[in-house]
Formats: sequence, structure tokens, C-alpha cells
Amino acid sequence: MIITRAPMRISFLGGGTDLPDFYKRYPGRAISTAIDSYVYIVLNRTPLVHKVSARYSISETVDHPSKLQHTRIKAALLDLDITRNIEIGSFAPLPAKTGLGSSSSFSVALLKGLCAFTGRKTDRREIAEAACRLEIDLLKEPIGKQDQYAAAFGGFNVFQFDANGSVDVKSVLLDYKKSLGLEDHLSLFFTGITRSASSVLSEQKSNIDKKFETLKKMSDSVPEFQDRLLAGDFRGLGEMLHMGWLQKKTLASNVSNGIIDDLYDAGMSAGAWGGKVVGAGGGGCVMFLSSLEKKDAIQKAVSVVAEKNGLHEFSRIPVNFVQSGVEIIYNTDFHKSL
Amino acid sequence: MNNYIKEFIEKVTQTLEVLPSEEIAKALNILQACYERDGRIYIFGNGGSLALATHWVSDFNKTVFGHHDGISGKRFQAIRLPSTESELTAWANDVGYDMVFAGPLQNYLQDSDVIIAISSSGNSTNIVKAVELANAHKIPVIGLSGFDGGKLNELADAKIVIRTEKGAYGVVESVHGTILHLMTEYFRDYFNHIAGRK
Repeated sequence: MIITRAPMRISFLGGGTDLPDFYKRYPGRAISTAIDSYVYIVLNRTPLVHKVSARYSISETVDHPSKLQHTRIKAALLDLDITRNIEIGSFAPLPAKTGLGSSSSFSVALLKGLCAFTGRKTDRREIAEAACRLEIDLLKEPIGKQDQYAAAFGGFNVFQFDANGSVDVKSVLLDYKKSLGLEDHLSLFFTGITRSASSVLSEQKSNIDKKFETLKKMSDSVPEFQDRLLAGDFRGLGEMLHMGWLQKKTLASNVSNGIIDDLYDAGMSAGAWGGKVVGAGGGGCVMFLSSLEKKDAIQKAVSVVAEKNGLHEFSRIPVNFVQSGVEIIYNTDFHKSL
Repeated sequence: MNNYIKEFIEKVTQTLEVLPSEEIAKALNILQACYERDGRIYIFGNGGSLALATHWVSDFNKTVFGHHDGISGKRFQAIRLPSTESELTAWANDVGYDMVFAGPLQNYLQDSDVIIAISSSGNSTNIVKAVELANAHKIPVIGLSGFDGGKLNELADAKIVIRTEKGAYGVVESVHGTILHLMTEYFRDYFNHIAGRK
């Protein structure tokens, strides 16, 4: 049995600049941190059962992976030529489609596990690249590359997406005071609205030409965000998030909507320095940076709007930043594999 | 006499001024990620470096959580290898000195672990063998080396090399001791800070 996990992430700036139509013309940049919510994958060998089982929100057992409904497990198994004698389960503390990058965390943890299953040792970059290949090349999802790298590498990183398709990963070497300070000033709320990133990103992708200058500004703001982070200027970071959110909203008609605007405005009126919707937009999580004294007022204000709009699943998500990236937690085959 | 003392201190100070702080930061991040996944830290070296490893393990395991529990009661697990003199002599006598670290390491190693290898030259065969074992399993390696860094510095993920002329063991080991204390104090302060804000 093999158990792997990969963290979800909070993205701060630069989302959308990781799409090829942009980074082929201008370097894309994004900054994000891994958080202590992990997607876990469990792989089990079933030598006597010549089938493939996938257990997630439903349970599937088929004779060949080509018959699976789960598109990512199916594509990954076919690509790695694992055709039988395996059970795959996935587990996570948060629902899917919350904007915390969990679908790429899933791919990253899955591929790490499947490589180990075939006896192959892999490093973070190999897995990030493999997850991009799975999601973008094989499954043709119209998504970017930052989430796969965020899940594989863990920690606080600046990613640069270059024209040749390579991704430069620079770890932001924050000491614990800055890192815990940022956690303290951050409030994260799950709106209760779920959406798939692909639906938002498809429109955004077709708008890249029109929005090229905005995306350029977003990419160029990432180094400044990093500098403020290293300086511990949390108010400055909040103000940059606000600017970034205003820019991001213009990228596609479905990045925001009436309810999200109301939630965001409520937080800002309650005294937040700034914030954003985490992930592609259209739902998921909304995040604010504020002084410690304003956090309760922000939570109250946002909760009132959520209740008014019937968002029953709305809740605050406590977060801790983590250094962990993708990792193997348990592997009964460890000593067999060399 | 005064001049001799000054010269030695100068040699140490020069290396402290050009410490690879990014690599030390990387090492701290590697240790933190290991803590988060409840992995273990194996540390080893020859001679004075083994003494440093032993000193660090006792400090680190006790000091970081000396006054409170970690996050959810989880603790660091740092282990010096070999953990007994008997293993050291058994591997040395029966197999050879080249295996005194890789041998015991192979018994313990799991995917969630990390290693800290200490070698002033960076070229001790037994150290390099253990690091190669970790590399083969893609286990993160923190390398504390000196002189030109040697093979250890090439193979390590966090490359903490104390650049000196060849043979300056005293200077290198002194600075290794400083860095190991920095690691302990960083996590002591970090967890004290967490305990203080709850």
C-alpha cells in the first residue's frame, strides 16, 4: 500500500499569466503558498483481482482503465500503462472546486503514488511536469501551470512561466515571524459556491489578446508583492491584493458575480486592507488581509451577506501555511524499490 | 600568542561573513516539511563531525520542545547514526568503514525522512555512500561541508559549504557547530512563538 498527499494552495497574485497564450508572449509570474489541507491518495495492490477500482465521491470497478468515468485517474493509468490489480482512493478535508487548487493537488498526489507503485522514485519537478502533462496535454483542460507546481513543491513560491514552457520555481525564504504574521492577518472564507476552474478559464483564455496589458501588469506586480512579503508589510500586501482583484475581475465576465461582489464589498467595508477570490474565480473562497482587530468584524459582515444569499455551506477556513509539497506518507514497497 | 588567536578568529569570522544563508534557509524549510509529515531526521559524520551530530541531536530533540508541546503534540524525531557504538563497530568490522552510515541508514529509511550529512572535506567515502543511498530514494539531503565542498556539496539539496583552504578542519567544524545551533534555536523560537499566540 502506498499513501501520498499533496497540499492545497492559496494564490495571491498572477493567476491567468500561467496560460500559454500569455506566457508565450511575455513571462508569466504567480505567487502562492501551500496550506495545511491535503489531498490524500491511497493505492492498494490487488494481485488476485484483475480489475481497476477507483473510490472517490462514487466507487467504480472496471476491467480496464479505459472504462473509468474519472477522467484523470483514467488518463493517468492509461498513460503509465497500469491496467489492472489496483485500487485507488482519494480523501480530502475540504470539498472539491473551492479555488484552493485541489484538483491539481489530486493529480500531483496521484502521479507521485502511481510512479511509486511502478517502482519509480520521483522528485518534485518531475511530478509537477507530469501533472501539467496529464491535465493540459492529455486531458486538454484549459488551465494554467501554477497549481501543479504549488502542490508539488510546497511552501511559499514565486513561479515564472517562460515562453519555452519551462517553469522557474523560486522559494520565498520567509522566516517564521513573517509567515505566522501573514497567517494571523489573513481570513479565508469558503463561499459555499463551487465551480470548475475550466469554466472560468475558458473565457479568460479567449480574452487574452484583449487583456494582454492587464495580464502584463499582474505578472509584473509579483516581484513587488514578494518584496513586501519579505519586509512584513501586511497592509501593503492587502492593498496589492485589492488592486490585483480589481484587475482580475476584468479578465472574464464570470470571474466575479453579484454575490461574490457583495461578499467582497462587505469585507472591505468592515475594514479589510484588501482581498480577492482565491483561484480562478466564479465561486470558491474569498480571502482578506486586515489588522487583527478587524478580523471579527469582517467575519461577521461576510457571514451576514452569505446568510442573506442562502449560502448554507459558507464557513471560515482556518489556515496554516506549510512547507510540505507532494510526499509519500507510507509505502510498504519502499525497500523493494531499489 | 595574541596574533595567533587573532588570526584564528579572523579565519572563522571570514567564513561567517560569507555563510550561504539561502542554503541554510532551504535546510530549515526541509526540516519543517519533515516535521509536518512526521518524518525522521538522520544525522551523521566522522570523528568531530560525529560529535557534532550527537551534540545536535541531544540539543534539538530536547530544546525545541523543552517547555511545551509542538503543533498538536507532534514532535521532531532526530536520530544520530549509527545510534549505537555496537552498530558502528559491527558494520566497520564485518563489512567495512565505508558502510558504517549507509548500513544503519538503510535499516531505518522511509520516504518521509531527511538526512543531514556532515563532512569537512565532503569526500569521506562512508558519508558519500549514505548520501547516494538517500539520493537514490529522492530523500532530501542537507549537506554540511567545508573546503571546496567536495562530493557532498554536489549531491546535497541544501548545500551548506564553509569555504576554506583544504585542511582547515577546526574552522569548518566550529562553523558547522554554529549552524547546527542556529537550526535548533530557529525551531525553538518558532514553536515558542506558536505556543505564545494560542
